[in-house]
Amino acid sequence: MRAELRRLLLAVWCVSLIGAPAVAEVSPRHDYVLHCSGCHRADGTGAPDDIPSLIGIDRFLRSPEGRAYLIRAPGVAQAPVSDERLAALMNWVVVEFGADAPSPGYTAVEVGVWRARPLRDPTELRARLLASDAPSDEPR
Amino acid sequence: MILLDRWFEGMTRGLARRSGRRSFLARLGLGLVGGAAVPLLPVARAAQDPARAGAAPENIDGPAGDPQDCEYWRYCAIDGLLCSCCGGSHTSCPPGTEMAPVTWVGTCRNPADGKDYIISYNDCCGKTFCGRCFCNRNEGERPAYHWYRNNDINWCYGTKSQIYHCSVAVVLGVAVEGQPEK
Ligand code: HEC
Repeated sequence: MRAELRRLLLAVWCVSLIGAPAVAEVSPRHDYVLHCSGCHRADGTGAPDDIPSLIGIDRFLRSPEGRAYLIRAPGVAQAPVSDERLAALMNWVVVEFGADAPSPGYTAVEVGVWRARPLRDPTELRARLLASDAPSDEPR
Repeated sequence: MILLDRWFEGMTRGLARRSGRRSFLARLGLGLVGGAAVPLLPVARAAQDPARAGAAPENIDGPAGDPQDCEYWRYCAIDGLLCSCCGGSHTSCPPGTEMAPVTWVGTCRNPADGKDYIISYNDCCGKTFCGRCFCNRNEGERPAYHWYRNNDINWCYGTKSQIYHCSVAVVLGVAVEGQPEK
C-alpha cells in the first residue's frame, strides 16, 4: 500500500475516534430518497447487473480501505450535499441496509478527506475488496 | 508520527480556514450536543420523513394542474413522452409496458402550496416510442457527466426490455429544499 494512503488511513482513523459522528439537520432518509433511491431503490435492493444492492453493505467496513471505498464510490462522493450531511447519510445507510453501524461513525472530516480523492477504477477496487477482507495494495 | 502531526495540522488548519473559528467551535459544540441528541432522532426523522409526508395538493387551475399537459407542475425536469397521453397516467405505465425500478430523481415546486416535492421520473419500457405528448422541460437537469440528474439517458434500467415508451412523474415526498442544481 502506498505510504501516503497508509498515513491517510491512520490519520482518518485517529480523527474519527475524536470527532462525534455527524448529526445532520436534514434527515438522512430524505437525502437518500432524493440523491440515491433513483438508482439503489427505496429499499436498497438496486437492480441486478446494473446497480449493486446495498443490503449487507457493512461487509465493506471490515477493512480500512473498504471503509474509505463506501465514501469514495462515485455516487456517494459526488452527492450534492455537504460533508456533514453525507456523513450522516452514510451512517444511516450502513445501519438501514447493513447489520452493524460503522464504529466509529463517519464524521464530516473523514468524509471530506475521502470524497476529495476520486477513484480511477471503482469497479476494480470493489472486486478486489469483495474478493478479500484483507486490506490490499491500492493502485492510483 | 511527525508526518501524522503535520498532516493533522494541515487538515485542522484547512478546516479552520474554511469555516472560521466560531463555526468550528459551533460545530464542535453541535457534535457534543449531537451525542446527547441521538436518542431523539427518530422523532425528528418521522417529522421529516418524505415517505410519510402527506400527498401533494393537486387543486391547480390551468396547464400546471393538467397531467396531460407539458406544463403540469411535476414535469419540471422531464424529457420524454407523457404516459398520461399514451394509455397510462402521470403515475402509471400503459398496459404492456414495465416501469423501470431504476430512475432519476429531482425536485419540482408545487404551485398549490409553494413546497418542493421529490419527483421520480420513471420510464415505462417494453413497447416502441409512444410518440404523443413530447415534453422537454429540463429545469434542474444536468449534462450526462452529472448522471443522476440527467434525462438524456435511456433509464430503462432493470427492466426486461430496454425499449423506451414513455415517462411518469411520481411524488416520493416533500423536499426539505429544492434540489441543489436549481
Ligand atoms: C446513477 C446511479 C447511482 C446513484 C444515483 C447512486 N449510486 Fe451508488 N452505486 C451505483 C453503482 C453503479 C455502483 C457500483 C459501482 C461499481 O461497481 O464500480 C454503486 C456503488 C455504491 C456503493 C458501494 C456498494 C458496492 O457494493 O459497491 C455504495 C455504498 C453506494 N453506491 C451508495 C450510494 C449512495 C449513498 C448514493 C446517494 C448519495 C448513491 N449510491 C447514488 C449507482 C448509483
